This record gives sequence, structure tokens and C-alpha cells, in this order.
Amino acid sequence: MIKYILIALALGLVVGYISNNLGMITITVIFSEHSYNISLIALLFFMGLLFGADKEAVANMKRTGIKVLVFPFAIALGSILGGLVGGLILKLDLVASMGVCAGYGWYTLTGPLAGQIFGVEWAALGFAVNFLREITTIITTSLTSKIDKYAPIAMGGATAMDTTLPVIVRYCGQDTLITAFSSGFTLTLMAPFTITAIATLAH
Amino acid sequence: MPEPIDVVRLVIPLVVGIVLGYFLRNNKSLSLNLNKIVSGTILVLIFSLGFTIGSNNDLLAMMPNVGLSAIVLLSTTLFFSIIFAKAARKLMKI
Repeated sequence: MIKYILIALALGLVVGYISNNLGMITITVIFSEHSYNISLIALLFFMGLLFGADKEAVANMKRTGIKVLVFPFAIALGSILGGLVGGLILKLDLVASMGVCAGYGWYTLTGPLAGQIFGVEWAALGFAVNFLREITTIITTSLTSKIDKYAPIAMGGATAMDTTLPVIVRYCGQDTLITAFSSGFTLTLMAPFTITAIATLAH
Repeated sequence: MPEPIDVVRLVIPLVVGIVLGYFLRNNKSLSLNLNKIVSGTILVLIFSLGFTIGSNNDLLAMMPNVGLSAIVLLSTTLFFSIIFAKAARKLMKI
């Protein structure tokens, strides 16, 4: 499956690039908006169906219960610490580097927000770090799921509720659906607040 | 990634699916057929994601300038996220 996922990603990149440069606006809108949204919503519905019908997965979920909510907070702390350490290595502004890492993979938010708060040069970095987080999660989930069942959920961050969710569930198992979705959901809600909170702390 | 308003739009199909799946749990052919559909839909989604990125010239243009810093920041972020999630899992006995 991972082979086909990588091919689909690469093909999408190439076709998207060509179509945009040929000025084919209708096709660009069809793929980047309609087919993206429809397939995402359909997947969430189908994965919900599979989860609900899976007795073992539901039983696992009941056993873990509310405890899964510890994940998004652990992932948030890990991401911010990662930003601090990375900033130290690169000798960057530490507040800004913690800020962009607190986007948890949500690049359409972090790029513009980091640009506004930390300055234009951080918009590009905020965009890149979080965009690469999503891509890296998709590409490596088949490997990292073997290291730890929940590693791909940590890597995916906020994207674990949408784009990386189907890949995570495929490799980590049906019972990770709710953990991954709720973690991505919580991190999505947290991202704008933590980025601005980190920025405020500096002043 | 979705805009904030989309969050609700994603929760609804998931919850409807789970409830429906719960009532259809004795239907054996359901999961067999659905798994194939899910695989196909994943490929459509990943292709569309690639397309969205590939057709965004501004995004592609900024990559070479910030690429190295982004890779370092991403590596430390992923490393500590995984470590913290693993620690939380041990601590909470999940």
C-alpha cells in the first residue's frame, strides 16, 4: 500500500505543477478543492463505519477511555521543546522557532500567523516545517508504526485528524482511529493559541 | 489542513459512520468490501494533496531558502514529540 501512496503523492505533485503552469485553473480547483474535500469526508465516514463495526477496536477504545487525551498535550510539549532544541542548534530566535513548531503540522495556519507575529522570514519557515511534517508522516508511517504504535500519531500532530489519519489507521490498526482523530482535533484547536501564547511570553 | 470551520464538517461524517457501523456490525461482507473502497479513496486523497502542493508555486519557491533550517527544526520536533508521546503512554499505562 505504501508504494501506491508514494506514487499517488509524487504523481499529484507533478500533475499539479504542470496543470498550474499551463494555467488550467478549472482542473486545479477540481483536484485541490473538490476531490480533496470529498475524498476526505468520504474517508472519515468509511473509517467510522469500519471502526464501529470492529468489536475489538471498540473494546480497546473503551479500555483506554479518556486517557487518550494525554497524547495531544504530550505531543504539544514535545513539539515546543523540539523547536527550542532545533533553534539552539541553528542559533535562531528561540521564541520564534518554538512558535513555528507549535503549529503541529497545520501549515496553512502557521505560515501566515508566524509571518504576522515573528516577521516575514518566519512565514516561509513556519510553512515549510509544518508542511514537511505532514509529508514526512505520510511517507514514514509504515516504518515508524513498527517503532511505536503511537509514533505516527505524534508525528502527524494536528494532521492526524485529516490527511494523515487514513494512513495512520491503515498501519497502526483500527483501534487507533479515535486516539489519532482526537489528538489531531485537540492539537488543531491548540495551535493558534499556543503560537500566540509563546509570542506573548517573549514580550 | 482544514480551516477551523471545517473541524465540525469532519467530525460529523466520522460520528455518523461510527454509529452506523455499530448497528451493522453483524454484516460480515461490510468490512471486506469497505477496505478496498478505503484504499482507493486514500489514493485519491493523497493524489489531491500532492496536486494542491504541486500547483502552489509560492510554496515551492520558498523551499530552497528555508529547506535546511526546516529539516533541522522538523527533526527535533518529531524526535521530542515521539519521545513525549511514548512517555505519556508508559505513564498512563495505555
